[in-house]
Amino acid sequence: MKNKNIEHIISLSNDLRWQIGDEFHDNLAEGIYADAAEIVKDAVHKKDQINKLRIDARIDKIITSKTWGFPLMFLILALVLWLTIIGANYPSSMLAGLLLDTLHPALKGLASTIGMPWWLDGFLIDGVYLAVAWVIAVMLPPMAIFFPLFTLLEDFGYLPRVAFNLDHLFKLSGAHGKQALTMSMGFGCNAAGVVATRIIDSPRERLIAIITNNFSLCNGRWPTQILIATIFIGAVVPTAFSGIASLGAVIGIAILGIFFMFLVSWALSKTVLKGEVSTFNLELPPYRPPRFWKTIYTSLIDRTIIVLWRAIVFAAPAGAVIWLISNVYLGDQSIAAWLIHSLDGFGFLLGLNGVILVAYIVAIPANEIVIPTILMLTVLVTGIDGGAGAGVMFELDSVSATGDVLKAGGWTLLTAVNLMLFSLLHNPCSTTIYTIYKETKSLKWTTVASILPVIMGFVVTFLVAQIWRLLI
Amino acid sequence: MNTYNPITALLIFFTISVFLYLLFRPNKGWFWLIKANSKSNGKIVVEDILKLLYHNENADKHLNINDIVRTLKNSDDLILESINKMATHELVTIESDMVKLTQSGSDYALRIVRAHRLWEKFLAEKTGFDEVEWHERAERKEHELTKDETDLLASKLGNPQFDPHGDPIPTNTGKIAKIKGNVLSELNVDTIGRIIHIKDKPDIVYKQILAENIHIGSLIRVVEKNASRIVFHSEGESFVLAPIIAGNITVSILEKDVVVEENLARLSILKAGETAKIIGISKEIRGDSRRRLLDLGFVKGADVSIDLLNPLGDPKAFLIKGTSIALRTNQASKILIKKV
Repeated sequence: MKNKNIEHIISLSNDLRWQIGDEFHDNLAEGIYADAAEIVKDAVHKKDQINKLRIDARIDKIITSKTWGFPLMFLILALVLWLTIIGANYPSSMLAGLLLDTLHPALKGLASTIGMPWWLDGFLIDGVYLAVAWVIAVMLPPMAIFFPLFTLLEDFGYLPRVAFNLDHLFKLSGAHGKQALTMSMGFGCNAAGVVATRIIDSPRERLIAIITNNFSLCNGRWPTQILIATIFIGAVVPTAFSGIASLGAVIGIAILGIFFMFLVSWALSKTVLKGEVSTFNLELPPYRPPRFWKTIYTSLIDRTIIVLWRAIVFAAPAGAVIWLISNVYLGDQSIAAWLIHSLDGFGFLLGLNGVILVAYIVAIPANEIVIPTILMLTVLVTGIDGGAGAGVMFELDSVSATGDVLKAGGWTLLTAVNLMLFSLLHNPCSTTIYTIYKETKSLKWTTVASILPVIMGFVVTFLVAQIWRLLI
Repeated sequence: MNTYNPITALLIFFTISVFLYLLFRPNKGWFWLIKANSKSNGKIVVEDILKLLYHNENADKHLNINDIVRTLKNSDDLILESINKMATHELVTIESDMVKLTQSGSDYALRIVRAHRLWEKFLAEKTGFDEVEWHERAERKEHELTKDETDLLASKLGNPQFDPHGDPIPTNTGKIAKIKGNVLSELNVDTIGRIIHIKDKPDIVYKQILAENIHIGSLIRVVEKNASRIVFHSEGESFVLAPIIAGNITVSILEKDVVVEENLARLSILKAGETAKIIGISKEIRGDSRRRLLDLGFVKGADVSIDLLNPLGDPKAFLIKGTSIALRTNQASKILIKKV
């Protein structure tokens, strides 16, 4: 009897639903808006808002105009990146001076006074401590500059206009206009860029934005690009132009990254993530003066500290691994040397070498330590003077000294160009991989997002290397 | 690396690339073909035959074994074997070559149809797949859904009555709503009606209708009809169709005294400086997307004007209820307005 009742109610509700029809939600929303309008009319008294609207409209006219829209956009992005890279130099060198040049020897001294065995001292201080210190020194200042600047632009209301301007390009590649924002955020940090994809509400487009975020050259990779471009690209043109040539090369790599982002978005939306943008609508909020201090505070807490913490958590074991592979011997070779020799052949095919590949494997946790690791490993296998000992990462004060070490390691212009390409096209750092997993909750897509860029990096560097050798 | 030579390396690379392309290219890659072949088992053939019989019997056509063999793409042996199997399970009866559905066969067929249409509805409401792909994907999915899954799907979608093409979805008790309407190609000049159904078969005709940007739920008025073409006005635009294509569109005729908004237009044709009132959102915008537009204030009676043009032309920002909202052209074309 009871069951019969329930079934009766269910079938009644189904019938009623059919009778109400599809218009139900439309009517409901309409009703709510009608009521709201009624209430607003009674309760809200508007002051003269026309002036404010005029200013907004005038700014909008310029920002979205055919002539000024795009140049302005690139100018602002360039300015933000320039401020970040140049501005981060000073606090970075201060932090490096403190953590690497002062605290590190002090810790070593302390360890020897209390009689710590050499392997424990090396493992903890040269390995774990040094990697963590390096990541903090190189990563913290640019992020502490980039994220607040970015958040200020967001708060001011400029970023939604960027998405608006660029949407058509993203539509052509089957993606969402808001991906422009997550992409720009990726220039600061890919992990933060992946988190930022939460603003995209349809799952398919969000996945595309997550997978392609790695093609934005992040803060950890800019210094590598600039260093290598200065040493090798700057050297092939007359000295007067070397600054411009190396800058141009770095910007070229960043633009290449944007090109790959569009290409991969397009390819994904034609194959495995087939479909169309289902829900595109973008609110363009009115301009408002950013709340300066609040913005700085929240961007430091929400973005910088979280990302930095994750990076430290991953960098510590990486430091340990780097020290271990350089100091544990299999027969008469350290593991590092053995790895480098066995990867040399493959590295040669890609126009790279074993040292670079090993450095990219152990430096998965943080792109920041790639160059120090490469220098240390180069010194380790070539046996030239310099460096701070097996497993101790270091960087040289002068750019030319760095160049000398690399050239002693057999580097050519091709190696430099391919390293720059590979630095753009390789797996995301482990912080980003972990963030991708947390955001997608899918092992499959995390794997795709991690493996796809490496494969592209292999293919691109391989092709460049073969064509280079054929022609030059 | 003695044998190394850039040209050999490149050749090996391109050979591997071509091989991988042939293996995995979309739709026609060998890998996918093999995968699809290994799946085409007896169950799918049986269900395809049931569906074929069901649709034909609904149109009062009866098929013989030859018709079935000719229509389906599977091998003749497999089809014959399947029909025999179906006869022993009393899904069909065979009387002198004519194959007819039994009651249980008809019920089974209805269940497949239900799964198919529900899945199309799901694709339309919850995913971003292109309309062209709905049918094909549902063709594959209908064989995978069990009865319980189908019922769960139905209740999650709110037990919908019609699929996105306007076809009725059978209920789990086998009830099926009737479409009351006339074929567009048979309407007289000056008839006013609403499009209620667009047939998704055959594929070529359906794609052509989609390319014309004709939407279910649109009001139309026939303005010209002859043997070579049918012209009708709808939502501020004029459409010209060949009669064979118009034959795939069903229209429910509206009473003469229903007031039809004559200067109805699509939001996409609004120009800068013009203001319009919103009349409604087309049925083609469904699910979350529709809900979002309603939330943003695109409701009947709201005033709308262009706020910003885009340097690349698309999207445009519309001023609605004091807020600026950017919409892509394909979405704006599904919002109906009346210029003021």
